[in-house]
Amino acid sequence: MADEAPFQFLHSELIQYITKSAESGDTENARNITKLEIMGFRVGQGLIERLTKDTVRFKDELDIMKFICKDFWTCVFKKQIDNLRTNHQGIYVLQDNKFRLLSQLSAGKQYLEQAPKYLAFTCGLVRGALSNLGVKSIVTAEVSVMPACKFQVMIQKM
Amino acid sequence: MEVQEEKPIIYTMENKPIVTCAGDQGLFTSLYTSLAQQLPREPMEWRRTYGRAPKMIHLEANFVQFKEDLLPKEGNKALLTFPFLHIYWTDCCDTEVYKSTVKEDMMRWQNSLRSHSSPDWVIIVVETNDTKKKNKTNILPRSSIVDKIRSDFCNKQNDRCVVLSDPLKDSSRSQESWNSLLLKLRTLLLMSFTKNLGRFEDDMRTLREKRTQPGWSFCEYFMVQEELAFVFEMLQQFEDALVQYDELDALFTQYVLNFGAGDTANWLGSFCAPVRNWSGLLLRRPIDMEKRDGIQRGEASLLDLRSYLFSRQCTLLIFLQRPWEVTQRALDLLHNCVQELRLLEVSVLEGALDCWVFLSCLEVLHRIEGCCDQAQLASNCSHTVGLWAYATDKLKSLGELCGLVSEKGPTSEDLNRTVDLLAGLGDERPETVSSLQSPYKKLKEALSSVEAFERHYLELSHAAMEMYTAIGRLRSARLVGKSLAEFYMRKGDPERAETLLQEALKSYVSEGWSLPVTHTRKQIAECQKLLGRTEDYLQTSALLAGDVNLTTEERKHFCQELLTFAAKSGAPKVTLSMGVFAQLTRLQFHPATASVHSGAVLQVELTLRCLMPVSVHIQQVAASIHFDVDHGGTHGRSKSTQRHRNPATVEFIQANLSAGPPSSSAAGPSLEMDEIQDRSPSDNSLNSTGVVCKNTHLLMRRHDSSSPPDTPNCFSPPAVAMKEGAQMLKVQDVTLEPGNNSITFTAPSGQPGTYTLRQLCAIVGQVQLVLPHIYPSVQYEVYSQEPQLTVEPLSEPLLAGLPQMVKFTLLTGHYAVKKGDALQLSNTDTMPILPSTSCTARITDPTAESVSESVLFIQSSEKVTSISLPPTPPYHTLEFQLEVLCIIPSGTDRPANERLTNGEIRHRPRSYSHPDTPMTAIDQRMSIDCPWSIYSTLLALTFYIPFKTKHSLLSAGNRKYIQVCVHNVSDVNFTLAEMRLSEKPLASLELQSLNAKTQQLLCSKHSVFCLWEVRWKDDLPSCLQCVFSANFSPLKQDVSSFKPFHYQFQFERVTTLYSVRAEILPPAGEQHCRSGFLCGLEVCITRLTEPAEGELAEESKTDTDGPKTTKLMYEVADSSSNWAVCGKSSGMVSMPITANATHKVQIEVMPLFAGHLPFPKIQVLKYLPHTAAVAIQPDPDSCVENDSLSLLDKTLDDQADTASIRSRGSVHSVGSGDQQQKGVAMPRLEPFSPGQVFNHSHARQVLVLPSTDDHIMEMYSTSKLLNVPVSTTGTIGVVQEPRTAHRELQKDLELAAYGTGRNEGRMNGEMYRDILDKNLLPSTRMLKMRRGWTFQQDKDPKHIVKETESK
Amino acid sequence: MAVCIAVIAKENYPLYIRSVPTQNELKFHYTVHTSLDVVEEKISAVGKSLGDQRELYLGLLYPTEDYKVYGYVTNSKVKFVIVVDSSNTSLRDNEIRSMFRKLHNSFTDVMCNPFHNPGDTIQSKAFDGIVSAMMVQTG
Repeated sequence: MADEAPFQFLHSELIQYITKSAESGDTENARNITKLEIMGFRVGQGLIERLTKDTVRFKDELDIMKFICKDFWTCVFKKQIDNLRTNHQGIYVLQDNKFRLLSQLSAGKQYLEQAPKYLAFTCGLVRGALSNLGVKSIVTAEVSVMPACKFQVMIQKM
Repeated sequence: MEVQEEKPIIYTMENKPIVTCAGDQGLFTSLYTSLAQQLPREPMEWRRTYGRAPKMIHLEANFVQFKEDLLPKEGNKALLTFPFLHIYWTDCCDTEVYKSTVKEDMMRWQNSLRSHSSPDWVIIVVETNDTKKKNKTNILPRSSIVDKIRSDFCNKQNDRCVVLSDPLKDSSRSQESWNSLLLKLRTLLLMSFTKNLGRFEDDMRTLREKRTQPGWSFCEYFMVQEELAFVFEMLQQFEDALVQYDELDALFTQYVLNFGAGDTANWLGSFCAPVRNWSGLLLRRPIDMEKRDGIQRGEASLLDLRSYLFSRQCTLLIFLQRPWEVTQRALDLLHNCVQELRLLEVSVLEGALDCWVFLSCLEVLHRIEGCCDQAQLASNCSHTVGLWAYATDKLKSLGELCGLVSEKGPTSEDLNRTVDLLAGLGDERPETVSSLQSPYKKLKEALSSVEAFERHYLELSHAAMEMYTAIGRLRSARLVGKSLAEFYMRKGDPERAETLLQEALKSYVSEGWSLPVTHTRKQIAECQKLLGRTEDYLQTSALLAGDVNLTTEERKHFCQELLTFAAKSGAPKVTLSMGVFAQLTRLQFHPATASVHSGAVLQVELTLRCLMPVSVHIQQVAASIHFDVDHGGTHGRSKSTQRHRNPATVEFIQANLSAGPPSSSAAGPSLEMDEIQDRSPSDNSLNSTGVVCKNTHLLMRRHDSSSPPDTPNCFSPPAVAMKEGAQMLKVQDVTLEPGNNSITFTAPSGQPGTYTLRQLCAIVGQVQLVLPHIYPSVQYEVYSQEPQLTVEPLSEPLLAGLPQMVKFTLLTGHYAVKKGDALQLSNTDTMPILPSTSCTARITDPTAESVSESVLFIQSSEKVTSISLPPTPPYHTLEFQLEVLCIIPSGTDRPANERLTNGEIRHRPRSYSHPDTPMTAIDQRMSIDCPWSIYSTLLALTFYIPFKTKHSLLSAGNRKYIQVCVHNVSDVNFTLAEMRLSEKPLASLELQSLNAKTQQLLCSKHSVFCLWEVRWKDDLPSCLQCVFSANFSPLKQDVSSFKPFHYQFQFERVTTLYSVRAEILPPAGEQHCRSGFLCGLEVCITRLTEPAEGELAEESKTDTDGPKTTKLMYEVADSSSNWAVCGKSSGMVSMPITANATHKVQIEVMPLFAGHLPFPKIQVLKYLPHTAAVAIQPDPDSCVENDSLSLLDKTLDDQADTASIRSRGSVHSVGSGDQQQKGVAMPRLEPFSPGQVFNHSHARQVLVLPSTDDHIMEMYSTSKLLNVPVSTTGTIGVVQEPRTAHRELQKDLELAAYGTGRNEGRMNGEMYRDILDKNLLPSTRMLKMRRGWTFQQDKDPKHIVKETESK
Repeated sequence: MAVCIAVIAKENYPLYIRSVPTQNELKFHYTVHTSLDVVEEKISAVGKSLGDQRELYLGLLYPTEDYKVYGYVTNSKVKFVIVVDSSNTSLRDNEIRSMFRKLHNSFTDVMCNPFHNPGDTIQSKAFDGIVSAMMVQTG
């Protein structure tokens, strides 16, 4: 995986580009988020293909989630997810106490309303990875105090 | 035990290691049973060589009597016949006896053992108590005998001699002696095992090492290693036994491979011998002796060897409770054998192998069934199913070989072949003769007759299929199904076949395996053809014709099938889904806004991608249309355009037929993310933000995936036929080339409404290709439009009074203008239509390009102007222009409304003022009778009056001047010409114009002032009615275009009633006033005229009795706070109504500044006491107030608003005489109308000196100054807007200030006033400067400076 | 070497399938398609049966008289199937493994190629090259 710095810069530029290219407005805003998420999805798909090349087959869903939290996260964000929780009914909450893409923004509530833009891509990333591992899911994110943030993964039971 | 000795050695489970017994046989026999029982009771741990894991084993032994020949000869490798232990039994207790007999016997025994170098022996001495009893004499202690024996035989190894004390009793003592004995025996046995097995294995290995040498034979080696295996089996070490066999297996395989690789081992020759016997595996016997012998004799075929090996392995595996491994190995074995035979190029009768495999499979299966119950079988059929399937297709191939599957039974050579095969089976094995269901029987039966074969085959294949489905291997099941279907086809039973094939096809389609799909379809097509299911067949063949996986020849063939059917007449019509034939990719409307007016041409262009390999001629392509009327009925274009939901082109996405990736992958709505912001309710600060999914509910809906993509002939061809009678778009005789074709329809656009394309149908002869519903739905709209007539001005704004061009636009809508149709405009005199010679009408079609131009004929009677229109087709636009003139309503009065020609009340052109423009607007309605409707259309035009006109009456003394101000509020520049003022009713007056120029330029937003002096002979009427008239035309246009402009106005009570004079008297002894000193102000009011009767009447109302007097109120108010008025600033005077009645008032005022101060303002108002008789005198408090100094800064306008009036709190109401009646009983003040009172002191100045006196100079300057306006006011030119005007004036004044001292002209007050009145006053008035300018001059310090220096 | 190599998508439709000799391509299609049964069995076996080896290589799926079918499944549930002629006994298990590894690597590259969007059939020349290197070199 590339060094994190270029990735982060690229990522923020990407967001800039997306948001600049479209004029503001609620619907636009949503569309941008979606755009980012979709980009992330595609990247996640490719990435996971690479990462799981040399791993053993996953036992089950939880096994996969663990992989995401450890190897996948480490590879992308140079750290592991700090806390993984699940209700064993297809909902997982991944908590990152120092999320790389937010740590540059602020430590606290400043720019909080800007934060979602910076999470959308990652949501897609996770969703893409999971879907390529055959787990259909919806990934949402929440941040209350940066740079900590939670990602919620809702598994779609097929 | 002699019995045992005779017993032949059969290699079975019953084998036990051999132990020989010598010595006292009787004794042994007595002990044998218990010994045989007790020996295996305790397990022994067996430590083994080569680091193999130790094992606990139960030892058994086969006790036989010692014989010389039992002892192994040199080099005899047989292990099973090997005696592992030799026992010598004795119960001798008597030394003599011992010495005499036993000892020799032992010796002999020992020697024979030693000679064969078998070291494993033991001597057992049994002692019983009863032996003690007899012959007490010379008895030796028993022990001594044992000692003797020990000393004699086992000199070093004492343990080789064991004592067993009275074994037949069961006392604790005997028991323990037994145990020790047994233990001893076991250990010794094991020891010898280990020793001998070790030796054996070593020999075996050395033998194996020799295998590369010539003359080495696998078979010999096989026997050796199998011996080992047997031993292990004998010791119930099945694992180890199995290992031996597997080693052999591997070794053999390796040999075969090497052989294949090229190096030949001569011993393999026997295995390469052609196969003569293919009687399958035989797993029922533990050991198949004849095969074994065959091997031993080296004349076994490869199959024999394999079979034997496998049977052994199978046996062992079953001992080990691993039946499923058997099946697994069996499959491998069978495949392997087939391969090996191929590899070794062994000549095998065709089909023989199939027989062998078939038999073997069944044999294995039977064996397994034999050893485990149904439940196990059911749960483990995943292991067995392979064999079933294998057997099935072997049987099938056999059947085919023997011509059992062809419809017409087997031919003769088929039969011969069958016979040969059956010969190869040999005759049935004894084991299975009894059982009915033996594989042997099965095969024989199956090959015997067609029916039997079918029965067996079906049974097998169904069994296989069921198992496959049971374990969820659906694909495999389907595959078996397919081959079954092929079988059915051969049997000429397409019906069954088809169902199976459909089954299979479904799975291939759903998983998108195009090649199998194609192949299966082809088979299905065959079935359907046989079944004569025309529709399905055509459907399928259409699909195949479009299938890219096929060669063009095939595709052409199938396409031809379709076409030939289509061509044949009389056949019933067949409906297929169009999707298989061609795909509707695109649909396009011309014009792009899929909405036209009724009757217009609308074209629909379809793009069909034809999948056929050849070009197909189609009789008719039709699209059925669903029509529904708009309930809006006929609506204008505006409405139709505003609903723009009809897309111009519709793209259709196709589920591709050549089963590509199932769309399920792309299925499901794409999720829409959004961000949320969670604000705390208290202060809405952000608690948290996040990314959410808006349509989770949609996504989380567990959409049942694995819904196969909807490709034709998964669903039966569409039942829906074209609904006849429905409106259709039709095109005849189209030829569809392979690939994209575009077909253009002209859509019906008769009735207005919405047309929805529902179905598409192509007719090829008998075949109807139907696209049951077009999705996404496609609509177009037809609207109908009423004719519309609009009039809009050519230039904004329309100016009244000038001829203006207006444009008439007629959208004909659905109405066709015929020849002779005319518009009837009812004229109004306020807006005549100017007949113009060249008036052309332009006709344009909806796409706004001009169609034709033609001259309009306009004839206008005095009531009606009729415009005859040129004939115009519907939905065209007719444009022409007319020139109209809106007459400016002169002045205030309105013409009474009269009737219009068409009888309705004529709308008065109301003039009102527009918010956005200063101009007053006039709405001109014109009513037009149109040929298409009985009602007449009303159209409104708004004109704007370019001028605002004001009039004012000026007076100087008795003289009167009328001033008219024309303000150009439009944006156009005009020239005004011959401005005239005429007095309406009686021309008793003479109005002398003071205007020099006859033509005036009147720029936009500017004004012109005109002034007339009124002269009269006898006397001036109290009321003047005047008409100002001028001609105007836009700038730089010829004189002809001048248009008149009238302005009516009137004055009331113009005569001057009173004149007010004021003098400021310097304090006594002073020549000039000085600032800060009181000086007197003398106001003198004089009645000028005789009372007019109207006036008298007015007065009589006020007070009836006494001489005719009228009450006036005067008021001195200095607005510019130059003066302090001391004492009463206002008061009453009652004037007798007679000419020259005068009244003087003295007031004290004090100048506050030095310089030329304007006189304080003096105002005279009519005082009307309230109608109650008593006239209220000014009450004291008011007087008090009036006495107080009033430095009120008042503007000139608010006349009545004086302190006194306020104190009385009177309602100030201007000029409405009648209101006083009902008004509160209060006296009123009424101002005189302008000109009724002439104030001489107006704008007069007096010199007020500070301490020094430099006044002379100033007087002059004043006079000088006052001359200036005179010169300029010959005519009052256009004076630009007030501010600049004022500035100019001031400049003059400054000039004046320079020129001091030159003009010595003494100027008397009369003249001064005159000028003042005539010029300055009006100009100041008009400039709205009021007294502003004088004021400025006084205050301007500059002046002072100049003045001072200039002297 | 292999006579047929197939890549099968998560949804079990072929992403890539190539076989020599080409004439009985159809047969291979059937074979590979059927082999999916076993693949699925083995995949589903993971998890419940504790004695499972969870490597991507699934080993011999099933032997037929003439062919041996080997399977391999990536974590993204994409299946690789290699069919080998049974007569070709020289081939060792680990050779098969390495073939699968090669396939997987190349496949990953394909997946990460921006011009390939997931779910489409594989068009990549590079992948083609890798595959044809593993095939028996007969027409």
